[in-house]
Amino acid sequence: MRIILRRLGLYALTAWVAVTVTFILPRLMPGNPIQTLIGKLTGNVTAGEIRAIRLSFGLNFHQGILGQYFTYLNQLIHGHFGVSITLGAPVSSVLRETVPWTIGLIGLSTIISFCVGTFAGAVLGWTRGSRFDSLIPTATFFQAIPYFFLATIMLLFFGLNLHWFPVLGAYSQNVTPGWDWGYISNVIRYGELPLISIVLSSIAGWMLGMRNMMITMIGEDFVLMAVAKGLPRRKVIMHAARNAVLPSIANLSLAIGLVVSGALLVELVFNYPGVGDLLLQAVFNEDYPLIQGIFLVITFTVLAANLIADVVYLALDPRTRTEAAV
Amino acid sequence: MSTDPLDVDDVIVKPTLAPLGAHSEFVLEIRNFSVDYGVGDNMVRAVNDVSLNLRRSKVLGIAGESGSGKSTLVYAMTRLLRAPGVISGGDVILNITNESDENLEGTIDLVLASEKELRKIRWSHVSIVLQSALSALNPVLRIGKEFDEVLKTHRKKMNKVERHDRAVELLKMVGLNEDRLERYPHELSGGQRQRIMIAIALALDPELVIMDEPTTALDVVTQREIINELNVLRSRFGFAMIFITHDLSLLVELADEIVVMYAGEIVERAGADELYGSPRHPYTLGLLNSFPPLHGARHELAGIPGSPPDLAALPTGCNFSPRCPFVMDRCRSQAPPLTLLGGSDRAVACWLHASDSPTPVPVELARCLTTSTTAVTSLKDRS
Amino acid sequence: MKSLRLPKSPKVLLGLGILCFFIIMTVIGPWLAPYDPSSTQFAPLLTPSAHHWFGTTSLGQDIFSQLLVGARATMVVALLAGIVATMLSMTIGVAAGYLGGAADDGLTLLSNVFLAIPGLPLLIVIDSYLPVNSRSNTLVIGLIISLTGWAWGARVLRAQTMSLRNRDFVEAARIIGEKRRRIMFSEIAPNLLPVLASSLLFTVLYSIGAYVTLAYIGLTSTSTWNWGTMLYWAQANNAPLSNEWYWFVPPGICIALVGTGLALVNFGIDEFINPRLRAAGLTSRQRRELGLPRRARLGLTPVLRPTPRKPVVPARATLVTE
Repeated sequence: MRIILRRLGLYALTAWVAVTVTFILPRLMPGNPIQTLIGKLTGNVTAGEIRAIRLSFGLNFHQGILGQYFTYLNQLIHGHFGVSITLGAPVSSVLRETVPWTIGLIGLSTIISFCVGTFAGAVLGWTRGSRFDSLIPTATFFQAIPYFFLATIMLLFFGLNLHWFPVLGAYSQNVTPGWDWGYISNVIRYGELPLISIVLSSIAGWMLGMRNMMITMIGEDFVLMAVAKGLPRRKVIMHAARNAVLPSIANLSLAIGLVVSGALLVELVFNYPGVGDLLLQAVFNEDYPLIQGIFLVITFTVLAANLIADVVYLALDPRTRTEAAV
Repeated sequence: MSTDPLDVDDVIVKPTLAPLGAHSEFVLEIRNFSVDYGVGDNMVRAVNDVSLNLRRSKVLGIAGESGSGKSTLVYAMTRLLRAPGVISGGDVILNITNESDENLEGTIDLVLASEKELRKIRWSHVSIVLQSALSALNPVLRIGKEFDEVLKTHRKKMNKVERHDRAVELLKMVGLNEDRLERYPHELSGGQRQRIMIAIALALDPELVIMDEPTTALDVVTQREIINELNVLRSRFGFAMIFITHDLSLLVELADEIVVMYAGEIVERAGADELYGSPRHPYTLGLLNSFPPLHGARHELAGIPGSPPDLAALPTGCNFSPRCPFVMDRCRSQAPPLTLLGGSDRAVACWLHASDSPTPVPVELARCLTTSTTAVTSLKDRS
Repeated sequence: MKSLRLPKSPKVLLGLGILCFFIIMTVIGPWLAPYDPSSTQFAPLLTPSAHHWFGTTSLGQDIFSQLLVGARATMVVALLAGIVATMLSMTIGVAAGYLGGAADDGLTLLSNVFLAIPGLPLLIVIDSYLPVNSRSNTLVIGLIISLTGWAWGARVLRAQTMSLRNRDFVEAARIIGEKRRRIMFSEIAPNLLPVLASSLLFTVLYSIGAYVTLAYIGLTSTSTWNWGTMLYWAQANNAPLSNEWYWFVPPGICIALVGTGLALVNFGIDEFINPRLRAAGLTSRQRRELGLPRRARLGLTPVLRPTPRKPVVPARATLVTE
């Protein structure tokens, strides 16, 4: 249990660092961008909105920098991320609409990618030397293609040329949102291609990592012991796989970071109404409140996912639970 | 041979065994067994033309340096040797007379056996205790699970409670408390782990138990305890045992017969007392002189000059000739075959004992076995 | 120091081949380019032909020249960022692993924090705050990329250092009183080389992805030619939707090939570090010739026979049939 608390502490600290970084950055850059921003806006937005933006950056001229910092933190804790310049709406409400799409897409694709990838990796590791090994260079190639590039190719090929999948958007124009099967099936349909794209880009990492660990495990004595016991082949593989999967879970933090980064761009390519598209629009328009808000939300979500992964790892590897071996 | 690369069938079929022949008092017969690593130009012969027999309920000790081929022999024998090991000749005959196991009786050549047959035989008739207990136990599984799965696989009729009870019974046999079943391997001491390995090895009451240097990694006190326990268990259950070690002194008390290996070949084979009291091969002599006896007069430790043989570049003639203090010209050009010494079961591969040898046998290698040389009381006689 | 053995694995050789090809392209690319990549003198959207191997953009620029010239910026930034990040990883990782105690705790915390924050969003945030003229400075971009990419290598190097620290030769150096810094550099560092090399390759892989992504979004200068910028312009002019594959496919494929080359070489290094990953003993051809099953199977030590089909019959009948 103590270990989980330590991890929680780490993530809380990381969240704090992320928040502080977003506070410090605009002040570090030459030519105070926020001032310029506010200068640009005056006349286009209401005074109330300007005040909100100022607050979201902790820009209060009556306070010193430390005071500004605490105002900023205070704002964040209350969920006030400021107001988006381009959209004219509070960042938090904008995010509330878009974040679920992103979490759904990325979450589902990560789970599928992990499961299929580790399974394939286990098979590759076990059947080493068979014709399956020719998958490895192909997988490596797919891993090296930038996410957005693969997405574009798939969009072009499967969506536009072959018309197998619908493109652009999360659901068709004709369908109204609601919790009915018509809508949900439509969502699934539209989500298929982006999902496949993300899965294809990320699966190789899991596969190759698992393969290497599987090969290492097979060289261990306890797997030989399982064979010596006369256990059926399936059980022997499980002995090895149970141990081989552990590093993949431990590396989840790195992997999630990469998947999220890539998936954001996939959303852009497919015009999926998630956070990625929003982020890039914000960058283009220099909509700093929105950029900042999205970054923080993404970070917090990734940290939460890491925490879940840590808990799972703790459950699977008993060696981490006791402090020291006898 | 299945073409399915995954081959995840887990059906265990009863093998078709040939009827027992006239030699059924031997549980194991190894004939002209050879094992190589690699093939072609890079091939190294790790075990060369080894033949030996093991009677039921007897203990065979195999002694030798690292690289002598003793471990390779037993792993290859049970078809557990890893790549690039290859069996290049010979037969390993297992004679099964275990009535308790669904009337399975017969004989099988492990070298020719199929995977399904091996799976059936493994553990229920031949089990093995690996050298390092920590790495032989799955680190993410509880000890109880290791017992449970082997019982479940081979004894389909047992239910969960019966399996648990059997596991507790086995632990008690090796002197451990039932709460060890809930532990993970890393939570136990080395001695406890080794005991658990032995308990698991006996779970199905096999006819042959192979021990690969089980006490090498342990301290002397624990080593002693475990050897004692092994003797007790053996007299109680009657399994035959192959005990591999580089420490000859352990075998003296434990083994009925000892085989000394050098560079992949048997150089001497004799009863334990005979070997200890009256060695015939210069290498055996060297081994015995390398360990100080606990009793008796102190003498200078001689050791064996030279370094272990390079299996890829063996000398012509006798493999031991570069290091032998009694080497003759003949030794350097001709390899001595393993020959029976007149009128006994003993065998030695040395030209010194050949009937047409020009030089007389050195006095160290011609001792006669008298009662005074067996001052060490054998534990196995006590139990 | 062991002599350098040329790797035998075909995967690694392929990877090295690919990398060599692109390194050459980086060096002599701009000289080989037939035209100025920015010049818009040609007819727009020409499909590939003898004059324009990859056609032209919607502004009439030669794509092939863009590809060749763009190689340099892409590869140089990736390499630079990779080296800086690896140096950072090495300093922090080795120090944490060797010094232990509070220094280790602090540095590990630092790496964990950087590891947990997703790299690309952070990069985007930092880059978006940069004044526009800084963005065209490849040095600055490379630097911020390395700031987000060092954490993983630091963790790996720390683990490796910790396992080396307790080895006998380090203990010996400590006993004879060598200074800590000297121990770190001359005893531990040479043994870290394989892991370091792997870390460098991985970081360069990450950097090239990060740089290309930033360029694709438009966060780097759009006037410096690199493969990501090509993709940016292609996307901005709707090339994918207009089926102008010759515009956006070549740079993407180049990026993928470089990445594949790096990954394949990394494979080789992995096999070097972990001996179990090396192919053990017999090749599949040898096995086939000897009548052995195609791959090694655990628990089924293969049996060689003089005549594979006919087993040797011992004196007594002990043949077992399935």
